[in-house]
Amino acid sequence: MIKINNLSKRYGPKVAVKGISFEVRKGEIVGFLGPNGAGKSTTMNVLTGYLSASGGSAAIAGFDVLDDAIEARRHIGYLPEQPPLYFDMTVDEYLGFVYELKKAKQPRKKHLEDICSRVGLTNMRSRLIKNLSKGYKQRVGIAQALIGDPDVLILDEPTVGLDPNQIIEIRNLISSLAETHTVILSTHILSEVVAVCKRIIVINDGEIVADDTVENLVTNAEGAMSYVAEIEGDSDEIIPVLAAIEGVEDISPDGENTYVIKACEGADIRSAVFLAVAQNNLKLGSFTKMQSSLEAVFARLTKKGETDV
Amino acid sequence: MTAIFKRELHSYFTNGIGYVYCAVFALVMNLFYYLNSITMYQSSFLYIFNIMLIAMIFLIPIMMMRIWSEEKKQKTDQLLLTAPVTTMDIVLGKFWAAMCVFLISLSLTLIYPILSIIYGTPEPAITIGNYIAVILAAGAYIAISQFMSSLTESQIISALLSMLTLSLFFFLNLIFESTDIDIIAQVASFLSIITRYVNFFQGMFSLSDVVYFISLTVLFLFFTSRVVDKRRWS
Repeated sequence: MIKINNLSKRYGPKVAVKGISFEVRKGEIVGFLGPNGAGKSTTMNVLTGYLSASGGSAAIAGFDVLDDAIEARRHIGYLPEQPPLYFDMTVDEYLGFVYELKKAKQPRKKHLEDICSRVGLTNMRSRLIKNLSKGYKQRVGIAQALIGDPDVLILDEPTVGLDPNQIIEIRNLISSLAETHTVILSTHILSEVVAVCKRIIVINDGEIVADDTVENLVTNAEGAMSYVAEIEGDSDEIIPVLAAIEGVEDISPDGENTYVIKACEGADIRSAVFLAVAQNNLKLGSFTKMQSSLEAVFARLTKKGETDV
Repeated sequence: MTAIFKRELHSYFTNGIGYVYCAVFALVMNLFYYLNSITMYQSSFLYIFNIMLIAMIFLIPIMMMRIWSEEKKQKTDQLLLTAPVTTMDIVLGKFWAAMCVFLISLSLTLIYPILSIIYGTPEPAITIGNYIAVILAAGAYIAISQFMSSLTESQIISALLSMLTLSLFFFLNLIFESTDIDIIAQVASFLSIITRYVNFFQGMFSLSDVVYFISLTVLFLFFTSRVVDKRRWS
């Protein structure tokens, strides 16, 4: 549905996107993740034809965004970072305008009603946009993207400015859209990606640093497992015991009676640790696997060279 | 194009610019009409078209100055430029909406020919010729002003640039009138709005004058769409 090939974008001497390539199949929800200024919005702007690429190509539903611009844009619903609203119009007037602008084919009245009830705007339709709260403005922005039922939805930080309840509503909405649409959404909120997306593309400094499912990303990135063990006793006595276990790579004390044990890659050291502790008459208080969170993965991927988290 | 045309027209009359434009236009015209025709008993009202052309040099740039800068400021250009329409469609929609506001303001001056039919000696051919000339000139003014608005994000700069360019086009032949180099004077006179308009004013209707105004309009509409498109590449 979306195909990006070696895409790059320069702003004068600054290279914002450095030759990225990826493909999104029909029905996928892809989270576009990266710190501020990583090139997320630029990539989305190129995809929607708002900006032109400096190199490489992008195609939506088989139409090149440059050569077949109008046809490609017909398949896109786009919510930019700042919703593109005319403040002097009411919600109804605005959505009607977008309906005509996109030359939508759906029966007008029903289509707009459906969209308004989907994003929770039904009671706001006669209000002037400038009088709406930020959350409602964001909903109008999302409604606008849905008009004409485009195959591809490109949402730039769709939940910014919403309250926690609205965030959940909008996430559910996006999840429900995925059945019939292809969605790319950018965000820097990690829990959002976990909640909504199956696949994540992490972009940093204009380059793709990871492109995988959420689960794979967490497991692969961490590689070797670490455990936290609470063992009573003298550390001089305990550390050699633990170090002698096969598959243990490193042991570091972490507070009183607590040790972080790092296993070699692929080794399962759990039962060996229990056995060793018991055989040496030491008391094991607790033993837990250290959770590698997406946050840690994200920080590692986007901070390369700096301290591991 | 119709969607943009309708929205623009709607916005002229919700944010008040359309009303203010029509009011100021009518005020200026009526003031001159009062001074010349009512207090001085001048029977012909055709001088009003000269004043109109000069007043429009200042009024149209003010009406048009927000037309692109506002889109950029509110980021609504992202909606327009990612919609399945060509840039020229957007430019034309904005052009016709402004034209429409101008025609509304122009219709307010129809009172003068009506009064002249009742109380004076009407000159129907020249009057119609003048109206056509003013409409053609307004098209060129609007196209040039829209172009200037697409160049800069500052409304003030856009208005001043438009006024400057329009004045230059208007008075081109006067500026170069005294030059010794014949070819420059001829080119200046060829490009000047005044030279073209004088023909209409005198009741001469020539196709080349019509083509002149229409070319000027089309040229600047084309430039505008190029400038807007070029921004995608910056």
